[in-house]
Amino acid sequence: MSIGSLLILLVSSILVNNFVLSRFLGICPFLGVSKQVETAMGMGMAVTFVMTLASIITYFIQIFILDALGLAYLQTIAFILVIAALVQFIEMVIQKMSPTLYQALGIYLPLITTNCAVLGVTLLNIQYNYNLIETIVNAVGAAIGFSLAIVLFAGIREKLEISDIPKPFQGFPIALITASLMSIAFLGFTGLV
Amino acid sequence: MREVIRLGIILLIISAVAAAVLAYTNEITKEPIEQQVLQANIEARKSILEDASEFEEISHDQFENYTGVSEVYRGIKNGETVGFTIKTNPEGYGGPIEVTVGIRIDGTISGISIGNHSETPGLGAKISEESFKNQYVGKNTAQELSVIKSGTPKDNEIQAISGATITSDAVTAGVNTAVKLFNEKLNK
Amino acid sequence: MNLGKPFIRGIIHENPTFVQLLGMCPTLAVTTSAINGIGMGLATTAVLFGSNVAISILKKAIPNKIRIPAYVVVIATFVTVVGLMMKAFVPALDQALGLFIPLIVVNCIILARAEAFAAKNSVLESAADGIGMGLGFTIALTILGSIRELLGAGSIFGKLVFGEAYQPALIMILPPGAFLTLALLLALLNQIRTKKAN
Repeated sequence: MSIGSLLILLVSSILVNNFVLSRFLGICPFLGVSKQVETAMGMGMAVTFVMTLASIITYFIQIFILDALGLAYLQTIAFILVIAALVQFIEMVIQKMSPTLYQALGIYLPLITTNCAVLGVTLLNIQYNYNLIETIVNAVGAAIGFSLAIVLFAGIREKLEISDIPKPFQGFPIALITASLMSIAFLGFTGLV
Repeated sequence: MREVIRLGIILLIISAVAAAVLAYTNEITKEPIEQQVLQANIEARKSILEDASEFEEISHDQFENYTGVSEVYRGIKNGETVGFTIKTNPEGYGGPIEVTVGIRIDGTISGISIGNHSETPGLGAKISEESFKNQYVGKNTAQELSVIKSGTPKDNEIQAISGATITSDAVTAGVNTAVKLFNEKLNK
Repeated sequence: MNLGKPFIRGIIHENPTFVQLLGMCPTLAVTTSAINGIGMGLATTAVLFGSNVAISILKKAIPNKIRIPAYVVVIATFVTVVGLMMKAFVPALDQALGLFIPLIVVNCIILARAEAFAAKNSVLESAADGIGMGLGFTIALTILGSIRELLGAGSIFGKLVFGEAYQPALIMILPPGAFLTLALLLALLNQIRTKKAN
């Protein structure tokens, strides 16, 4: 695998196949934790961290345990447990090592277990037969794509707060329309790779 | 400490029961799933190389230098080779696309079939439609195929699905890989 | 004991999609056609029913401290069972829904019902609740899928409705159409609700 094709993989997982806006993974935090740019950034960082680590760990679990023992049918259950345990573990480590970082990320960590983007990326890596390097690149790209989408979205929602919106559209509907327009913009990246 | 052990054991029991349930389900569904895959593959091969009455798998080391090629079958009728079916997995817009290409021994493409893919419904997913697949039928393996976006396609050209150039390119790349393998290795 | 109440509640008053806004990923991702909507909805219903019943039976045996991992194991088991069954017996649907079958595990509706309902109520009520919520989800997904398929492909359940001349609005089955359709449906519901309140 050359550097060039890795770069293409990275760009395509950030922009073209953006996790949130084109694959619909991680919609819950995307809609839920995007009222302010600052919290959106915190969520983005926490997701990046967990996604990358989870992808690496599940890659080894798939090869050395599931494939080696012919237990492919335990994939879903194994991966979700890895992610849950990982999130718990990271929470404890960050709490001990860096209380400031814990304060910044702490509240988002438990939410990540049920973020389908994390489980989604680990399953996709296996489905596409990525090797370790591709897996890492894909995970980082997906996480950057998620962070980019959620931070941009939060920026727009902050502005929406002070706009005059027709009553039936207030709250969720207008947020979804915003997401729709962003998704149209991201469709423009289609021809990129 | 005792509390931790107790909790651990309970969780372990739950997981063990879960694993047992899954092992059992896997046991029941294994056969039907394998049958489904087998059947789908057989049908795909038959539909793209109608001349052949039986198929024989060719071993992997024959084509290990060809990236994306995952399966090759020799189509046989009355003991004679009538053609080959070659499964390739080119990278499309939403992930790999399974493209199986049938090539007759005289060097014409007898058909292609599209298996698993994750292309956009309504756009890229149109590669599964007959009108797109039929473009490949009868093409000669003497020259590489290329994709055009507009105009009337020449002999070695394929009209892209509008709005899905990447996907059309990918399928064509898969066909070209198969043709290359046919020309360099199989047709000897 | 009234089983009708938890059943109806999931379909209307606490509809997981339109009222609780849970499980948005599959809602948006697989509703490119009506049949996909139904398939996803029924698969989720099967998991909801199974996990609600199992957790309700096990509620006394699972200590509070480890309930979340225990629930996750139970849910993941049912998801895998449903996934394997679909692969074996309805492979076409399995292919169409793809990644979103294993992702039912992280569909918040299921964990939410386990935590909020099944852990506190009887087995029968939990079963009714699971089916009700599941059907509510199924109906919502089918409505979304039908609208998007109708506008985006000119058909419903694969049958052409508008005839050959209709030029489909492709955008409706592309990602932006998913967000847009749900936005407009929610706005419509809001409008109806305010009208009713006045």
